[in-house]
Parts: sequence; structure tokens; C-alpha cells
Amino acid sequence: MKKLIALILSLMLICSLLPAGAEGIDTSEHVKIVYLVTGDMPTNRTDEVLAKINELLTEKVNAELEFRWIEWTNWQTQYNLALATQNGDIDLIGTATDWLDAWPNSQKGAFLPLTEDMLKTYAPKTWETVSEAHWNLCKYNGEIYLMPEDNYAQWTNHGFMYRGDWAKEAGLENGVHSWEDLGKYFQYIKENKPEVIPWDANGNGSSYSPQMAGGWQTSHTGNIAIEGFPVAIFYGESKENPYTLSRYYVEGDELVNFAKEMKAWADAGYWRADVLNYTGDVVAEMEEGKTGAHQHHTQTWTSERTTMERKQPGSDLGFFWFGEEAKNLISLNITHGAMAVAAKSQHPERALMVYDLMRNDPEIYHLMQYGFEGDMYTVDENGLFTRPEGFEDATDGVSFNFWWGRNDNLEFRNAELDWDAISAMYAAYDEVKIDYPYGQYIYDNTNVGVFMDNLSNVYNTYMPRIVFGMNDDPEALVAQFREELKSAGIDMVMEEIQSQLDAVYAK
Amino acid sequence: MGSLQKAVPKVINYKKPSFGRTLMQNRTLILMCLPAILFFLIFAYLPMPGAYIAFTNFQYNKGIFASPFVGLKNFQFLFISGQLGLLLRNTVLYNLAFIVLGNILQLAFAIMLNEISSRGYKKTAQSIMFLPYFISDVLVSLLVYNMINYDFGFISHLVRNLGGVMPKVYQDANAWPFIIVLVHLWKSTGYGTVVYFAAITGMDSSMMEAAQIDGANAWQRIRYITLPTLKPTVIILFLFAIGSILKGNFGLFYNLVGNNSMLFKTTDIIETYVYRSMMNSFNFSQSSAVGLFQSVVGFFIVLGANAFVKHLDPDYALF
Amino acid sequence: MTVKKQALPAGMHASHIRKDSSQIMINILTYIFVTVFCIICILPFWMIISSSFATEESIRRAGFTLWPVDFSTYSYELLFRSPDQMIGAYVVTIILTLVGTLIGLFLIAMTGYALQRRDFPYRNKIMFYIYFTSLFSAGLVPFYLLIVQYLNLRDSYFAILLPLLMSSWLIVLMKNFVKAIPHEITESGKIDGAGDFRIFVSLILPNLKPALATIGLFLALSYWNEWYYSSLFLTTKVVYRPLQYHLYNVINKVASLKNSVAGSNVVITDLPGETLKMATAVVATGPIILLYPFVQKYFVAGLTVGAVKG
Repeated sequence: MKKLIALILSLMLICSLLPAGAEGIDTSEHVKIVYLVTGDMPTNRTDEVLAKINELLTEKVNAELEFRWIEWTNWQTQYNLALATQNGDIDLIGTATDWLDAWPNSQKGAFLPLTEDMLKTYAPKTWETVSEAHWNLCKYNGEIYLMPEDNYAQWTNHGFMYRGDWAKEAGLENGVHSWEDLGKYFQYIKENKPEVIPWDANGNGSSYSPQMAGGWQTSHTGNIAIEGFPVAIFYGESKENPYTLSRYYVEGDELVNFAKEMKAWADAGYWRADVLNYTGDVVAEMEEGKTGAHQHHTQTWTSERTTMERKQPGSDLGFFWFGEEAKNLISLNITHGAMAVAAKSQHPERALMVYDLMRNDPEIYHLMQYGFEGDMYTVDENGLFTRPEGFEDATDGVSFNFWWGRNDNLEFRNAELDWDAISAMYAAYDEVKIDYPYGQYIYDNTNVGVFMDNLSNVYNTYMPRIVFGMNDDPEALVAQFREELKSAGIDMVMEEIQSQLDAVYAK
Repeated sequence: MGSLQKAVPKVINYKKPSFGRTLMQNRTLILMCLPAILFFLIFAYLPMPGAYIAFTNFQYNKGIFASPFVGLKNFQFLFISGQLGLLLRNTVLYNLAFIVLGNILQLAFAIMLNEISSRGYKKTAQSIMFLPYFISDVLVSLLVYNMINYDFGFISHLVRNLGGVMPKVYQDANAWPFIIVLVHLWKSTGYGTVVYFAAITGMDSSMMEAAQIDGANAWQRIRYITLPTLKPTVIILFLFAIGSILKGNFGLFYNLVGNNSMLFKTTDIIETYVYRSMMNSFNFSQSSAVGLFQSVVGFFIVLGANAFVKHLDPDYALF
Repeated sequence: MTVKKQALPAGMHASHIRKDSSQIMINILTYIFVTVFCIICILPFWMIISSSFATEESIRRAGFTLWPVDFSTYSYELLFRSPDQMIGAYVVTIILTLVGTLIGLFLIAMTGYALQRRDFPYRNKIMFYIYFTSLFSAGLVPFYLLIVQYLNLRDSYFAILLPLLMSSWLIVLMKNFVKAIPHEITESGKIDGAGDFRIFVSLILPNLKPALATIGLFLALSYWNEWYYSSLFLTTKVVYRPLQYHLYNVINKVASLKNSVAGSNVVITDLPGETLKMATAVVATGPIILLYPFVQKYFVAGLTVGAVKG
């Protein structure tokens, strides 16, 4: 009797799902799709929203979504262990080629190669909306491993946030638009605002070196950074000649100029003497008016501008972006965020179906990104969303941390932000930007991986000292740095990378 | 009290009993060790074959044992770095300083505590000495920075107010061996003192009484009774520490020094170097390889040290 | 049971000694050194407590001070924003610590006793077997696979409780402590016809109080301070995470919100960083510092008294 009821029930279930199964996809079995995502377990209304989404997912593809959070404590180890020891316990993996090692993880067999047929059948909307050129950028060894977040405008190019009001006082009417301007701006603060550190920086952060060194480089040369290397010294020559490696770090004067200028800035006291070990909250300092600048990327500036306007009225926070003088700007690589299917997923087809809905279904997408309409947000006719009075994200919001397939067609803009300023900035970017030229190149470390680790060490040893002018003789320090790079095998490594580039881009 | 008893087991073993018989005779003692034997079997020995990962190019979808064998390739980067000599020197010297100075300080404080007659003072002091052990490395580095940073540090203020010139400590590599050793001693003295203090408290008090009756003064009591009683503990602690002579305290060094490369000459240890080299390329095989290298070296050093101690007095040896 | 060895309580002997000059000198030196060192140990801790009650801004302005410049309890409010999480974390950690220490301590003492018995022929072999594990470990991935896939302990508190039960270091230490108990005690027990286990339980354990207290402390600390295994083995499915891991998460959550990694649309302001770190240190350390002496007293007494009866 029980069996009969079960049979009838499951038959009913199958019938109710016919629309989804109509194209011959078998979704008779209800499955759980586990979504591996970085972030802390939310303490807000995420569960409530997830329950609603799971209702929809069950209805549409007879599946439900379950989070597996990789919390920020010890996250790198946790994330890589989860990938390395998977046994069918995870299905969808949020990844990125820059900050989450998507390509090395593809090479290590963490992800399932996705065939065109699979994508066409199970993630048809995604398949249609991502162009062939973009799919090509998601291939390793001829197979697709990633589904890119390629329809989401965001800029994570670095630069300096500075106060427009102080820049005016310093005689920079139009703001800061070059390293030279920046130096003047700092000098003005140093001379006129004794309580303010021109730029209080966390020199202990390992990312400062590549950002600053690369910043000077893109502002003073046409060099283009190639992503995916454990050490940031591999650049293409220029947009006219992108596939020849630049020799910026092994020879030439520009790096020496940089070192000299930073030494001068350090001596002038633009940052604290013990900057390399400082871990304080520099953003808060800027908001309190204790420092005049903050080095980070455009996306941060868009929200920080609003915050600063509230805390330091009239501060008119501007952004000098690295590369501005040379008009050297590269669009964000489309795989800055991407979703992959776990290599050992038991239900790869259903995982794809779920992802297709997360990314393209307006109802599910809006629930994921904003929560329940009316209750948690309202949208005006211009597509700007507003949170209700007293709304706090930590308790009232929703956190899916879905950074792997955001979709501008479905996004609402935050009404709080200064969209005039942001749009002007984006327009300026659009005028000069070029597409990332190395999307199809994936560094293969088989031959030179060992040397790469030592180059990484040399870089991390010398670059902080160059960047923050912590030396007596910048010229000698750069020479020594180059010497060490040589003995760590940079020539051999560059030769190898050049030949890898040639293999991909030789026409 | 030692020499007489030491002979006892030898007397019992006048004829060589069969293996099964020995097993039966000692079944209770074996059973008493069984939980520990099983514990280490499961949590230490069972996963040990997995150390094979250090010799492979670990492929996630294949698992450890089906991943391609690459020989010693994962060990290579450490050896071709040209830094190995410096790293070994720093790691070993710091550990030696920690062991030697640490033990002297801990012994001294344990003996001092034992001389204190007020029970309340003794207990309170023990607890207070333990406090630094609880302060995480992140906080320790914050405290140190707040003390000695050039622009705003507490000590810098003090020095300037007294008319002195504050050195830029964060740019002076020579200052750091002292700072790091001091911080380590500050953190670990409480822990070690408790060990020695327990050893003193647990020792045979009849000897102490005898010594008093014999009219020995306080110095003599310490010199001829307390210290010798602590000898086995000192030796055991030393033997134990020596096995990790190549293993550094990453948390302490990394938090204090960070990526301030001006200090690396005197502060870079194997762990921090490995961290910097692999910062942007997570690699399980390579980190296992480094660990294995440290273990093998430590193992041979311990074997040697243990054999030496055993030669002097078998009773003090670790195994 | 004929032999009842009564160890003099610590410190007793000093009062019986005729105070000669050397004794007085030692006493003076001792009080000076110990007091100075205690001040060095307690000052930074005091600064941490004081800073935890300061505002974030005053810390940035004035650094750490002996007294909070602007008094604020904001960090604690943030920590206790979800009080059930915090209380749950305390409960989990306290239970893990008590259970783990109780079982671990007994097993360690038993092993330590057996391994120091000179008439136990396998003692060196077993000792080597145990010591070896402190030198060689399998590494992260194999250990993780063992816990998660072979023992199936993901999201189970046993993944924390079991691996910390024993360590070769504590066994070696215990063995060394037991050695100080005269062998005659074991011999006398044998003459009375007691088995090895009975000798251990009713003759050795009661004489082992300082060692049990010390090793119990170390064991308790390793449970109390545990966060690493928790980060690996307890996913977010576990409602209450052990204290230290919970606190780390709070700190990191604030840090990640401030640097909001991929630019979510949230605008975050006024989250304390430094004072929060201080407050977590106080919250994590306070209870064990204050409660441990009392717990220890009854714990060790219970273990040894219960042993005599059993």
C-alpha cells in the first residue's frame, strides 16, 4: 500500500515537472545541489529567501540549493581542501581566475570539463548570452571549465582616492590626474595639515607592492599586465604589440625612476616611517580626516565617495586611476568571477540547470541579490533600488555572495550612490579601455614552476622596499633586485612564457 | 634512590622468556597502553602513507595515490633558492635561543616560586605568568608595534621626552633577534615554569627534610637537591624540543615581521620563506615536501641526541 | 595497601626551616624577580582590557593606554549581538574542554605510568612508536581525508574532541612526572597482590596531583584555544562553533565587511577593528583565567579521590 502511494506520488511529481522535462531531460529525482561559496554564514534573512528560492527551483527543475560556506577564517586552506578532497559532496563552485586560482585548479582537476552539448541542453540561456569569443576565454586545453560573469559592469582597476576639496586648496583645480599631481597633493597636505598623514598605508599587506609598482608602470608605459602568474612581473609590451613580453623588470630606467620618486616621497614623510608593519584601519582614518588618500580600486571608490560625503561633507572624493596619463586601461577580465561544476559532482546536469536559473531567471535573481520586494527593498522607475528605513544588511539583508554570474540585465542600481560621478568615470574609462588581450592564454607551470616560487620570493623581498622608499640608494636597490631576479632564473622563465604566448597567439 | 632499583628488572630477567610468555606476563601494562596505541594508530599512522603526496603532482580528481609521481621535484624549490643556508641558520639559531634561554628562565622561576611560602602569592604569580600565553600572535604584534613604532610608539614618545634619539627599529635588522627572543620568552615562560614547578612539587620531600636537618643552607639545597631532581625533566624537554629544531613558529614571526623585507636577513625562517614563495600558488604537495624535509632532519638529530643521552644514562633517554 | 606516601604540600617545608641568611636573601630576590616579571606579564593584558573598552577612534588617535580615553562598550555589544551564538559557543567549548580533559588526562596518566615501569619490556618500543608521531605527520590533506571520509566526522564535535585527546608531548611529560614516584610504591602494591591497573588507580594516581594538575591544564588549554580543526571540520551546518573559532569568525567577518571583497552593494560604516580584537581576547581568556583554579581543584581531587574509591 505504502509503495503504491509512493508510486502515485512520484508519478504526480513527474507530471508536475513535465514542462522542465519536456526536452527529454530527466528530472524525476529530487536532488540537492551544493553550492561552494566564500563568505561567512549569514545571520540575516538569507535562509528565508533560500526557502522561497528552493520552492521555485523544485518547481522548475526539481532541485534545491544548499550552501557550503567557506568562512573567511582560514579561507584559503578551507577552500582548496574542499576542492582537493571532494567526493561528490559539492556541485557548484564559485571561482575566479585572479583571486581564487581558477586556472591552477582546473589544471589540478578540480572542475568538470563542460561540453557544448551539456551547456546547450542544461544551461541554454547562459549558453546563448555568452558569446563564442567569451566561451573561448573559458577554455583550458580546448575544454570549457568556467561559466564567466561577463555581463556585469564593474571596474576593479586600482588607483588613489583623494579629497577633491584638498586638491583644490592645493591648486589642483581639476583634481589629481597623474603621479605628479599626486605628489603635489601629498606635499600640500604635508605642509598645511600637520595633523594629517598625507597617505597612511598598510604596507604590511602583500598586495600593495604589485598594485603600486604596476600602477606606476601602467601610468608611464604601455605595458599590459598578464594575469595568472604567482608574481606580478609579466607584462605584455603594449596594445600594439601585446604578445611580446616587456622587459620592464629586468632592464630600463622607468623602474629606477619609480624607486627614486618613492624614496623622495618617503623622505618627505608622505607616509609613516614604519609603514611596512602598520595594520591600522586606514579607510576609517580617511573618513575621520586623518589621512588624505586611500589606494584601492574603482568599485571601492564608488561606495566610499558616498560615505565620505556623509562623514566629511564637501570632501568630493575623487579617483586617480593608474594608467590615466598613458591612457592605459584594460577591461576587467571576464573570469574575475565565474562558476564551475565540481569534478566529482553526482548531478552535473542539474547543477547546470540550477545555475542557469540563478543567473537568468529574474524572480530567482532578484530574490538572491535583493531579497523580498516591498519588504526588503523597493525599486523606482529608473531601476534604482532603496532599502527601507533602518535596514541593516547584517540582520535584515540577504547574502548569496553570488559573485559568479551577476547579470546587468537584471541588476538594480543602488539609489544611495552618486551615479553622476560614477557614470562620468565609467564614460571616461570606456573611451580608452581595451579588452584584456590574454584571455586565451593560461600559464603552464610544468617547466618553470620551481623557479617561479623563487621569483615570487625575490619580488616579495625587494618590492615593498622599493614601493615605500625604504632604502638609502634606490638605484642600487633596483640593481640588486634585478640581479637577484636573474639568479632566480628570470631569463629562463621569460623565455618559457614567451614561447607559451607564441604557441597561443602566433598567427 | 636510583641505582638499586635499576638493577631489579635485570635480576628478574635471569632467563629469556618466550615472546608469548612475556606478552602474557605484561598483558595488563599492554592493555593500559592500548588506548594510546590505538589513538596514534588511527590519528597518526593511518594517514601517514598519504605523505606520498609530497612526491606527486597532486590531481584532485584522481586522488593522492593515482596522481602522477614526480620524484623529488616538490623539494627542489627550497634547494635551488640559494636561501637555504640563511633559512637554516635563522631557524636553528632562534630555536636554540628559545630552548636554552627559555629553559633557564623557566627553571629559575620554578625554583623561585618554590621558595615562596605564601600560597596565595604563589598561585597568583603562576596565573599571571600564564597570561601572555593567551595573547594571540596578532595581538602581540599590535602591542609590539604600539610600543616601538617610530612615529607614535609608546617607547618612542618616552625616548623623545627624555631627549633621546629613537632608532627606527622597524628598519634595523640587527634589533630583531633580541625583540623576537624577548617576545618568545615573555609568551612561553609561564607555560614552562608550570612544568618545572610541578616537577619540583612532585619530588620526594623526605630528601628536602633530611637536607634541612643536615643544616644545608638555601643555596646548597637548590644546588644539590632541587636542580638534580629536575635534571631528567630538563633532558626530556630538551630531547623533545630538538626534534623540532627545523620547525619555526610561523605565527609569531609572520605577525611580528610581516613582509618587511628590511628585516629578513635576521628574521626569515623556513616557514615564512615558504609562505612568501607560495603566497599566490596554493600547493599541497610542495608544503608537504617542506614538512617532510624538516621532519627527516629533525628525526636524525633526535636519534643522535637520544643515543648520546642513552650512552650517558639510559634512564634519561626518551626511548 | 600498606604504603601511603604523603607528599608534603607545596611550600610547607619552607616554614619549617630555620631562616638562615641565604634563605632571607633568596626570598627577597625571589619576590623582586617574580613580581617584576608578573608586572611585565600583566601590563599588556591590562592594556588590552582597557583598549577593549575604548572607542576605535581614540585607539587610532592615542594608541593603547592604561585607561580607556573614551569609554565605549561597542565591541562587546557587537560580540554579544547574537547572545545565543555566544552562549552556545561557551557551552560547546566548556563541554569539550571538560570531557576531553577528563578522558585524555586519565588515558595519558595510565600510559605514562605503564611506560615508566622499568619492568615493562616493551616500554621503549611503545615510547618510540608514540614519539615518532611528533616528528612525522601525514600532512594536511591525508589527515583531512581521514577525519572527513574515513571516520566520517565532518560536522561532528568528535572531530575536535578525539584528535586532541592525547599528544606524545603530554605522554612524555607525564611519564617523566610519574618517574618521580618511588618504585617502592609499585613494589608494595605487588606484594599486596594488586594488579598493575589496580596499583595505578589506587596507589599512583593519588600521588600524582601536581602532574595531573599541570597536564590537565595543558590539555584544557589545547581544547579551550582550539580553532584550527574547527575551521576545517565544522562547516556552517554546525549551529554552535567552539568559542575561539566563533571569535575569529566575528573578527574576520568585520574585516571582510570593511574590505567587502567583490564589492557588494552594502555600505558599511563604523565597524570597530582593533577594539574588537581586544574584546575577543578578553572574552576568550577571562573565563578560563578566573574559573580554572576552582575547576582544577575539584577536577584533580575528583580524579584522584574517585580513583581511590574505584
